[in-house]
Amino acid sequence: MERLLQIVNTILENRGKNIVDDINPDTNLRNDLGFDSLDLAELTVRIEAEYDVDIFEDGVVMTIGDITKKIM
Amino acid sequence: MRNILITGVSRGLGLEIVKSILEEEDTVVYGISRSKSQGLVNLMDQYPFRLKWMSYDLNDVDHVRARIFKDFIGIQTPIHGFVNNAAVAYDDIVTNLNYEPLLDMYKVNVFTPMFVTKYVIRHFLLHQVKGSIVHVSSISVHTGYKGLAMYASSKGALEAFSKNTAREWGEKGIRSNILVAGFMETDMSATLTEDQKNRIYKRTSMKTPTTTKSVAATIRFLLSDLSRSITGQNVYVDSGTI
Ligand SMILES: NC(=O)c1ccc[n+]([C@@H]2O[C@H](COP(=O)([O-])OP(=O)(O)OC[C@H]3O[C@@H](n4cnc5c(N)ncnc54)[C@H](OP(=O)(O)O)[C@@H]3O)[C@@H](O)[C@H]2O)c1
Repeated sequence: MERLLQIVNTILENRGKNIVDDINPDTNLRNDLGFDSLDLAELTVRIEAEYDVDIFEDGVVMTIGDITKKIM
Repeated sequence: MRNILITGVSRGLGLEIVKSILEEEDTVVYGISRSKSQGLVNLMDQYPFRLKWMSYDLNDVDHVRARIFKDFIGIQTPIHGFVNNAAVAYDDIVTNLNYEPLLDMYKVNVFTPMFVTKYVIRHFLLHQVKGSIVHVSSISVHTGYKGLAMYASSKGALEAFSKNTAREWGEKGIRSNILVAGFMETDMSATLTEDQKNRIYKRTSMKTPTTTKSVAATIRFLLSDLSRSITGQNVYVDSGTI
């Protein structure tokens, strides 16, 4: 979760948005973090570089919990 | 260093693009083709550290990420530009159209390049690079020549793809442009008779073939920061087709 938080904050910083102190499995990427489709693309890429998993390849990813399920 | 991925580097226009880009001392070229020609070997001797090459058959849509981006370039190496140059021409009249050669051509000219673009953009995002993409199209899309309907349709697909890529990724500073080339004297046009060639050249303002040097130099410009504000465009280098 710590590493995922860093990735999320990198993307928020790159967009000039405020970083967050914590995330949890229910954190919604669009509604809570304000990610748009291009931010989600960057998230996919950063997770892929780290974990070698393409989180959007099959199915929908809405929350942090959806991501952790795929990379654990 | 600026790292540029180029397909179809073994001969013709591709080889000329590599030459032109390597003249800039801060560039490294990652080149792809099926075969390694003597011309390419000579260039690799001249630039042992700045010209890297891998054999890849662009008919293979499925291993783009694994072979090109993980093995060859490496996920940790940023890419700054991509030139989609490799192509084949399926040339015949429409009433003779066959599915297999059509599909083969579309894989090489369109499908695999679309996947390369997918991973190039992902690479740009990972490394926060405002990269530049250039697809090589053909004047046949805009004028029409007998026997080139299938080939031209594949290039038309690239033009639409480029336009929309530019729109989609512009806010990240990522650019995509088309180089619309006129007829050049390369292997691809070698099967044309003198008479056919002359008829084609007559349809240009300059009445001459387009030089690969001029096309390559324009691509080099489109990859460079000098073209920072140019995106979503078709740039014609075609001896002024009329
Ligand atoms: N020549 C013209 O008059 C003309 C006019 C307008 C536009 N264009 C465009 O200009 C670009 C360059 O054409 P050119 O005239 O230089 O053609 P060319 O001399 O036939 O060279 C084509 C290049 O593409 C590579 N290639 C072909 N099939 C491939 C495959 N399956 N996998 C990997 N590489 C492959 C070839 O390398 P290997 O054979 O070693 O794989 C070669 O390096 C093309 O996009 C073409 O459509 C050409």
